Amino acid sequence: MNMPEVAEPEQLPVSQARAGEPAAWDALFRRYQLPLYVYVFELIRDEQASLDLVQETFIAAARHIGGLREDHKFGSWLFGIAHQKCIQRWRKRKEILFDEIPETLDEFETGPDDLLIRQEQEAEFMNLLNQLPLPQRSVLLLHFFEDFSLEEIGRITETQLGTVKSRLHYAKKSLRKLLEAKNENAA
Amino acid sequence: MKTPRELLFARHQAAAPKLDAIRQSAVATVCDRHELSEQRSQNAHATIFQTLWQELFLPSRRIWSGLAAVWLLILTINLAQHGPSPAGKITADPAMMSFREQQRWMNELFADRTLPAEAEPPKTFSPKPRTENYQTLIA
Repeated sequence: MNMPEVAEPEQLPVSQARAGEPAAWDALFRRYQLPLYVYVFELIRDEQASLDLVQETFIAAARHIGGLREDHKFGSWLFGIAHQKCIQRWRKRKEILFDEIPETLDEFETGPDDLLIRQEQEAEFMNLLNQLPLPQRSVLLLHFFEDFSLEEIGRITETQLGTVKSRLHYAKKSLRKLLEAKNENAA
Repeated sequence: MKTPRELLFARHQAAAPKLDAIRQSAVATVCDRHELSEQRSQNAHATIFQTLWQELFLPSRRIWSGLAAVWLLILTINLAQHGPSPAGKITADPAMMSFREQQRWMNELFADRTLPAEAEPPKTFSPKPRTENYQTLIA
């Protein structure tokens, strides 16, 4: 399977891309095309629209690369653009975006790979992921895909750190509960 | 067992060819934009010069040409006057130099070597009575 590796940010040829080197842009887009697509698709649930948004994100990134001050934040910056594109789309469609949940500041010490999904649980996992409210889903996907820090997720989604923690907490709790329940039933 | 990341990417792997096409299209667009912006920046200077030429010079080219000719003439005359002089003329005229030397000697000889005189004390003003003035006028 051609899965994109989580590259070290320092290895990304951002400065070369800024200078207009096509190979650098190709490498950057290749690195992020699938994570971006999956992120956008899991939020908006429309294949063609997701492909369009990924393309728009790439073009916007190339146009505004001069505004990126810290090269190592390219990934979160790119996801931020994609996230804004999703929000614009939701606003156009007047979909309900955010259901605010109370902020609990439970510390989140677990990593993105602490949830392991068995083959028979995959469908349930996807089903539950789709049932999560959009803000929680968004935070969870960013956490899963790129292992972004809470601060980075906050920057991408333009939310407070406490809110990010809260959303991530609830989302993971829900997922874990489901998986445990399934395991008990299987036993 | 899969991590959520692996699971999600595996489920969307089918979109990879479409994403490749999108990437290639985006890279082509980026390259076009970059080349275009480079060309624009290169052409910017040429455009400014061309605009100045068309707006400033061409409408009154006869005047500009006349002015240029006058300046050229002035420059030529100036150069001709200050052209390389003969070796003897580079130094100052000897008669003039001797005259200046004499003048310097005269100044030194006749210079006033006395100390500066003390300033006259201010005269005290003692106004006379007006009646006295009147008598003087009558007399």
